[in-house]
Amino acid sequence: MYAKVSAQISPGDLSTAHSNLEGMSNCTKCHNIGGQVRIYECLACHTEISQLQKENKGFHSSSDVKSKNCIKCHSEHHGRKFRIVNFNPKTFDHSKTSFQLTGKHAQADCFKCHTPDFMLDAKYKKNKGTFLGLKTTCVACHQDSHQGSLGNACQNCHEGDSFRPASKFKHNSAKFDLTGAHQKVDCSKCHAVETRNEKKFQKFKGVEFSLCTSCHQDFHKGKFGDKCSSCHVTESFHTIKNLTSFDHGKTNYPLLGKHINVDCKACHKNGLNTKPKFEKCLNCHSDYHQGEFTKNGTQADCTVCHSIDGFTFTSFTIERHIKSNFVLTGAHLAIPCQSCHKKSEKWNFRIDRKECTDCHKDVHGGSIPQKLLSGNKCESCHTTEQWKSVSFDHNTTKFLLLGNHQKQSCNKCHVRNEIGNRVIISFKRKTECLECHNDVHADQFTKNGTVSCQSCHQFNNWKLETFDHNKTSFPLEGAHSKVSCSRCHKQVIDEKGKYIKYKFGEVRCALCHS
Amino acid sequence: MIKLQHWIYLLIGTVTFIYLGYSGYSYYLTPYEERFFHPVHTILKPSGIIGHGLGIIGSLMMLVGVGLYMMRKRLKSFSRLGAIKHWLELHIFLCSVGPVLVLFHTALKFGGIVALSFWSMVAVAISGVIGRFIYVQIPRSIRGNEYSMDELKVLNQSYGEKLKNEFNLNDALIGKLEYFASLKVYKSPNLLSIIPLTIKDHNANKKLLNGFKIELRNEKLTEKSIKQITAICKSKLVLSRKISLLNSVQEMFRYWHIIHLPFAIIMLIIMIIHIGVTVAFGYRWIF
Repeated sequence: MYAKVSAQISPGDLSTAHSNLEGMSNCTKCHNIGGQVRIYECLACHTEISQLQKENKGFHSSSDVKSKNCIKCHSEHHGRKFRIVNFNPKTFDHSKTSFQLTGKHAQADCFKCHTPDFMLDAKYKKNKGTFLGLKTTCVACHQDSHQGSLGNACQNCHEGDSFRPASKFKHNSAKFDLTGAHQKVDCSKCHAVETRNEKKFQKFKGVEFSLCTSCHQDFHKGKFGDKCSSCHVTESFHTIKNLTSFDHGKTNYPLLGKHINVDCKACHKNGLNTKPKFEKCLNCHSDYHQGEFTKNGTQADCTVCHSIDGFTFTSFTIERHIKSNFVLTGAHLAIPCQSCHKKSEKWNFRIDRKECTDCHKDVHGGSIPQKLLSGNKCESCHTTEQWKSVSFDHNTTKFLLLGNHQKQSCNKCHVRNEIGNRVIISFKRKTECLECHNDVHADQFTKNGTVSCQSCHQFNNWKLETFDHNKTSFPLEGAHSKVSCSRCHKQVIDEKGKYIKYKFGEVRCALCHS
Repeated sequence: MIKLQHWIYLLIGTVTFIYLGYSGYSYYLTPYEERFFHPVHTILKPSGIIGHGLGIIGSLMMLVGVGLYMMRKRLKSFSRLGAIKHWLELHIFLCSVGPVLVLFHTALKFGGIVALSFWSMVAVAISGVIGRFIYVQIPRSIRGNEYSMDELKVLNQSYGEKLKNEFNLNDALIGKLEYFASLKVYKSPNLLSIIPLTIKDHNANKKLLNGFKIELRNEKLTEKSIKQITAICKSKLVLSRKISLLNSVQEMFRYWHIIHLPFAIIMLIIMIIHIGVTVAFGYRWIF
């Protein structure tokens, strides 16, 4: 009864929320004597709002709301059914709550989020219909599929429209900048989906990325170390960079010799990532010799003769040549290879001919009688030491070499004759002395067209070793035997030339003596 | 002059009522629970700049209207200050328009103890209207002083003489008027029956006067004379009715005072409480 009477002073019923404050004794709980209802009186009860304002959180902390007196919006004494919280979902500006509704949030029913299930504080859970008690963190309402591994700031990556895709996430803001082909790769390729805590979980944080091999299989099986980026770019593994710094020595085929300066593509014709065969030189090189060294159907590799220092040089040494069918001896050891093997533009190592004349010119032009030639014909006289070193036994000829003849060089007698372009050394010589020697006696001793030098001279010198003056028509007797030859045989000069006159015809004393 | 003043008051009161009602009808017809959300709530609510102002001005009008009239009636020093009927007219005007303003101050929201003040005000206002009706049933001099019965009888006779002397009206017609006037004799009517009785008499007078007009036109009188004669006839008929009802009406008027004043006092006390509470809670309008 008292309550009813005292309520008559009230300008109207309080709303249901404040109905417990009906009665005259309660007026001053809200009303300030001497002033109107102040914010303090409201916040004295509504401590949750007060606390939020202190923390500068929530709708009531927005500038235009905080500056208002509570009763500007939450009036009273308008009847029990008065909507003291006049909430209109269609017009409510959620941006004032520190949580702007964007995307799907803007379309969602209020109570999808504002449900006790999402309120952490028990005091809000009991307050049916309250819009307080929610955290602004996404995980307050949404299940964190990252299971806390990425923190609470979902909005840094996700738009309000949808969690997928995480369109605000820029991978370059992460520690691993996505470049090249990484940009096209599906996330799950690196961020594997696994089961964690009995839930599907995609691992985004803690993915090992310091090494490419964290995700990629090391095609090289560790041979080149763990820094793929030293050669590869992220556009493609097939695109190789920094070729100059690539250490080919770590491959199965270290580059040595001439290979060092060869352009990569010369071998890696199908791309630098391709692995050309290298077991044989011919895997890359064409056979210059066009199968010359094929034996029993097996083609010999270049390395048999060449090294990686170049094809110009060969490892086919004289020693090896000696072991070949054609044993190099003498001057053959000194002559350049091309003398035999490069008779034309092209090298030729398959020489079937084995005769000297296969290579050498027969300078004798058939002048040597066949009977003197036997076996490997040139070697009848010559050795491989030098052509001049002739081992011919001249005594097998009609002309035995005696005396000084033995000391003479062959060409003293066997002179070179150049007939046109041919050089002919004449070995078919007559045995007569005048074949080689001049008749200094001006035909004084010629008999029947021949001169027999040996009548007076021997082979050691031109001294008269066998001449006996006594066997002439004028034997030397008396003082004549003591006189020097030149006292009688004086030099004359006539139509035959200049010579010493040995023959006088008729011997008369007056020839010499006056 | 009285009529003009009366009509001016009536016009002001009517215009005020219509204006306030029309300009705020949307708000006033809105259910209580929804009014807070009405666009003009902040100005038309009882504590709003207009609503509160209407309450203060309306209350002041009533206080002034009552105060001045009471002083004129009760204080000797005011007894010679103008005709009492002018003060009454002012009293009626202020205490009619004042409640209208207070009505809109309440925003048609009647509850709590202040409603008692309001309904007291309504009661006072209605009783004022009734009192005004009763008041006019008592014939008064031009200054508003009541006539005695003898004075009334003389006055009643003077109408016949005036018709005869001033308009040279024939005896038959005057006799007819006297006859109908003499018929207005009523047995102690009460407040409820006097109103229909008066209305019925008013209609009967109107019918009778129309008959007179026809007869007067047959006498070839001017329209102006006919109008003046008809007015005098009407006055006589009304006065005859009032004389017949005078004792009853005077008795009613005494009872009316007993009712009218307490309601006013109740209204005043609760209004003071109401004002005190609102001031205490910080509602001070523009001050």
